[in-house]
Amino acid sequence: MITGLYIPGGSLLHRLPAGVKLTLLVVAGLGITLIDTVLTLSVTALAVVAAYPFAARLGWQPVWRATKAILIWLFFIAVAQALIADLTAAATTVLRLLILVWTASLVTYTTRLEDMMSVLERVLVWARPLGVSPQRSAFMIALTIRLIPALFDLAREVREAQRARGVEASVVTAVAPSLTRVLAHADTVSEALIARGYDRWDAPR
Amino acid sequence: MNLSVDHVTVRSHQRTILTDVNVLLNERRIGIIGDNGSGKSTFARLLNGLCMPDEGRVLIDGLDTHTSGADVRSRVGFLFQSPDAQIVMPTVAEDLALGLKPLKLDSHNRQQRVTDTLDQFGIAHLADRSVHMLSGGEKQLVALAGVMITAPEVLVCDEPTTLLDRRNAANVMRILDGLSCQVILVTHDMAQIASYDRALLFADGRVAADGPPGSVIAAYEGTLP
Repeated sequence: MITGLYIPGGSLLHRLPAGVKLTLLVVAGLGITLIDTVLTLSVTALAVVAAYPFAARLGWQPVWRATKAILIWLFFIAVAQALIADLTAAATTVLRLLILVWTASLVTYTTRLEDMMSVLERVLVWARPLGVSPQRSAFMIALTIRLIPALFDLAREVREAQRARGVEASVVTAVAPSLTRVLAHADTVSEALIARGYDRWDAPR
Repeated sequence: MNLSVDHVTVRSHQRTILTDVNVLLNERRIGIIGDNGSGKSTFARLLNGLCMPDEGRVLIDGLDTHTSGADVRSRVGFLFQSPDAQIVMPTVAEDLALGLKPLKLDSHNRQQRVTDTLDQFGIAHLADRSVHMLSGGEKQLVALAGVMITAPEVLVCDEPTTLLDRRNAANVMRILDGLSCQVILVTHDMAQIASYDRALLFADGRVAADGPPGSVIAAYEGTLP
């Protein structure tokens, strides 16, 4: 489960400015599409994994945390690719996805969300004349990340309450009450944001 | 600071929540008590502009919550019963920094203020901790620090200790008692407001008693079975 992505530290990658890391992430994402040999992709994947303990001093555990989140999808994609195309295509696709996820996770593990928001706010400045608020857009992303574990908790509480009342929990019986609680939680969060001055963020100093 | 609730009536879903409430609040410590559904939380939310009157008006140092909501909220902080809704960033330090956004401070000043506030509330060791992994007591302290970092002149608290054990509740109350700003506390725990300057008892959407906490608490306890 995602429990807040940033892992505090003082490594080289932690100290690198968020803007540089996000730019490198975009370049890596584009660059990976140009590599099409399994050997080169494997070496690249190993290099990214090695960056976890050596460049970011995070150890190996975060690599597994990032991998298990997409393991089931990787399996289905690999099977589909192997059936539709061949094993080489399956390996290429899986390696590309792994490299992307590991690189993106490396950036999020070593960068405070606040710093990422600042970069996004600067990047999205061009959208202001179109009526888009850079601050609010960046904050929406941050809020989404923060609320993922909270939503898991709400769903778990609904399942536990149903079990306690003798109703065997299933996806069908859990959806409606979970959705109701999520909407109620959204109401409370929006009210709390207003109380914390969210409506003053775009105001001139 | 003068908080004026001027003949306010609030309705919701064809039900009257508050009826012609008319009070002036300028004491440093004010407690609000009453049964569930008596209107005390709605009253508290009026003071921060989270809830608008259907009749009458609420003035915070002359600012109408209806027309100057954002300015009112920069002066009046609000602490919710559940900190889970109030904490919106993934780590404690980031959540505190979020409250400073409207002030548009530079990075150094923002960081300094976060560090000072973490120290002031005794939660410096939680700075980089994921908010999701905090205990209930720690979360409420983080929520309180997140409000107080903006240095509001008034803090309205809506049952901030209801979800806490006695130790954490006492800790939150000790911190609230030490704040220099005006505090308006909605609570079910009579002991928490016993030493306050003034108390208000709400019943059926009206102020049923208003005065020194001793007499107001006695009036409330007189209505209990």
